Amino acid sequence: MPSLRELQSRFAAAVLAADGTAPALALANARSGAERIGIYRRTIRTNYRNALGATYPVVRRVVGAPFFAAAVDAYVEAHPSRCGDLNVYGATFGQFLGAYEPASRLAYLPDVARLEWAIDEANRAADSLISPDDVLRELAAVPPERLPGLRMRVHPSCRLLASPFPVLRIWQVNQRDHAGDLAVDFATTPDRLRIRREPNGVVLDRIDAGMFAWLAALAGSATLALAIERAQDEDTAFDLGAALHRCIGDGTITGTLDVSLTGMSSSAD
Amino acid sequence: MRDDGWQVGTPEGLITVSDALAAALFAQPGSDVPMTSRHDLPIAAGIGLRSPHLAHVQAERPPVAWFEVHSENYFADGGPALAAIDRVRADYPLALHGVGLSLGSTDPLDRAHLDKLATLIARVEPALVSEHLCWSGVAGLHFNDLLPLPFTGEALAHVSSRIAEVQDYLGRQIAVENVSAYVAFDDSTMPEWEFVAAVVRRTGCKLLLDVNNVYVNAVNHGFDADGYLAAMPREAIAEIHLAGFDPTGPCLIDTHGARVAPEVWALYRRTIARIGPRPTLIEWDIDIPEFSVLEAEAAMAAAILADRDAVAA
Repeated sequence: MPSLRELQSRFAAAVLAADGTAPALALANARSGAERIGIYRRTIRTNYRNALGATYPVVRRVVGAPFFAAAVDAYVEAHPSRCGDLNVYGATFGQFLGAYEPASRLAYLPDVARLEWAIDEANRAADSLISPDDVLRELAAVPPERLPGLRMRVHPSCRLLASPFPVLRIWQVNQRDHAGDLAVDFATTPDRLRIRREPNGVVLDRIDAGMFAWLAALAGSATLALAIERAQDEDTAFDLGAALHRCIGDGTITGTLDVSLTGMSSSAD
Repeated sequence: MRDDGWQVGTPEGLITVSDALAAALFAQPGSDVPMTSRHDLPIAAGIGLRSPHLAHVQAERPPVAWFEVHSENYFADGGPALAAIDRVRADYPLALHGVGLSLGSTDPLDRAHLDKLATLIARVEPALVSEHLCWSGVAGLHFNDLLPLPFTGEALAHVSSRIAEVQDYLGRQIAVENVSAYVAFDDSTMPEWEFVAAVVRRTGCKLLLDVNNVYVNAVNHGFDADGYLAAMPREAIAEIHLAGFDPTGPCLIDTHGARVAPEVWALYRRTIARIGPRPTLIEWDIDIPEFSVLEAEAAMAAAILADRDAVAA
């Protein structure tokens, strides 16, 4: 008798094998073994198609259900799940689609998938209970000479996505409740998107190159001085006051990360 | 026999428990209103709550005795799903039903998964926490499906130690659910019902008895469903699941995508007559219908539970 470990390994191999392969398992259902293992194979396949279909509804709609199912099957084979929580599976689907030959004519598709993953993550991210007034009070307490070295706390749901394609427009016209014009103008300027969750749901907006670079730097724990430098590299007219005003006001920036301000020592100083 | 008492398998052997004792243990005192204590599920029909119906339940607060959700769907750090389940919890008793812990896997127990479950338990204070008597992956891979264990001494010892580990970690009893299976292993050395009963006996866990799964397995593997159910440790049965299967495949497939089959309703009725009323859940996971369909299924279960109450009174 094989050990439980051995049996589970053989079962896994049988599920991963091609349809119709006879399993290397001693089954009471010997004559129908391949067919019975096939039920598991199909159920598992369907589960992943459904799960990724829920995460990537626009990709699914753009390519159609049969194409999407084939793409998910290929993705699962290349990047199998390693987690018992199916809700967090599929993070790299966009990257995968970029190298998925059958989708190569849809150059924008990987970025649409990245946008959908960002929305999914934003939906699951931690809440922040800090109000803009609290953030302003916190900032007002910082001595002016400390401001350049300050690191900011960005809302846990905030994601940034840059794409040469009009992915926001593609996403919008593929929403179920979208009414009216379906045209997508591919001759527009690149999309720089900010994805974040407000109390009433996930909000997507286009931001300019300066603010995009600034927020990306802050989200990567850069100091305010370095973030301003990055922003000015993209946009010499970057307006720090306006950026702070907007991002604190809409809850994108939720405070400072500089622990020394609260009296604790900080290696970042 | 029903008025005298019932034979029940326990760690001490076969003993007899009177219906009066069962009534004291399981019935709500002096009222036909279901209990809403956060410590117990009401002995009534509940519905498995899935995302398509979350908004409806929050807005309309339909008269459902209790809800159960899949634990993993609320493993988020924040956001609308967690906020929704907080509101549901404020209005209804809630059970957490895990689908991803892979209790029977020979891989190490996933502590991160268990931590998320513990966090969710602390947040919603569920009346019951359950998982499946199965495995889901091996060698680091996860199939995110409920895969069958062989019924061997090794598997029994392994899954029992894992359940004990989970119960120790969470600091509470969990209920484990018997799963449906499309294969039976030649290596099994005992019938499924002995395996399930032995797990309960060894770990002191509760049993989430899925009557549909018993029926599906009885048909698929050719055993007597009533005999299986009679072997279940009655006092450990904390919840019953009912769902629909797909009869069109090479064997019965437990899809949770249809109404409960007439044969399963009949089996459920006989089960309730034998063990007494239990919190009973309607599950529906694919091609999820209108909420009213689930309410109608729950009403069927409620009628059978009430019928048993009338018999007992």
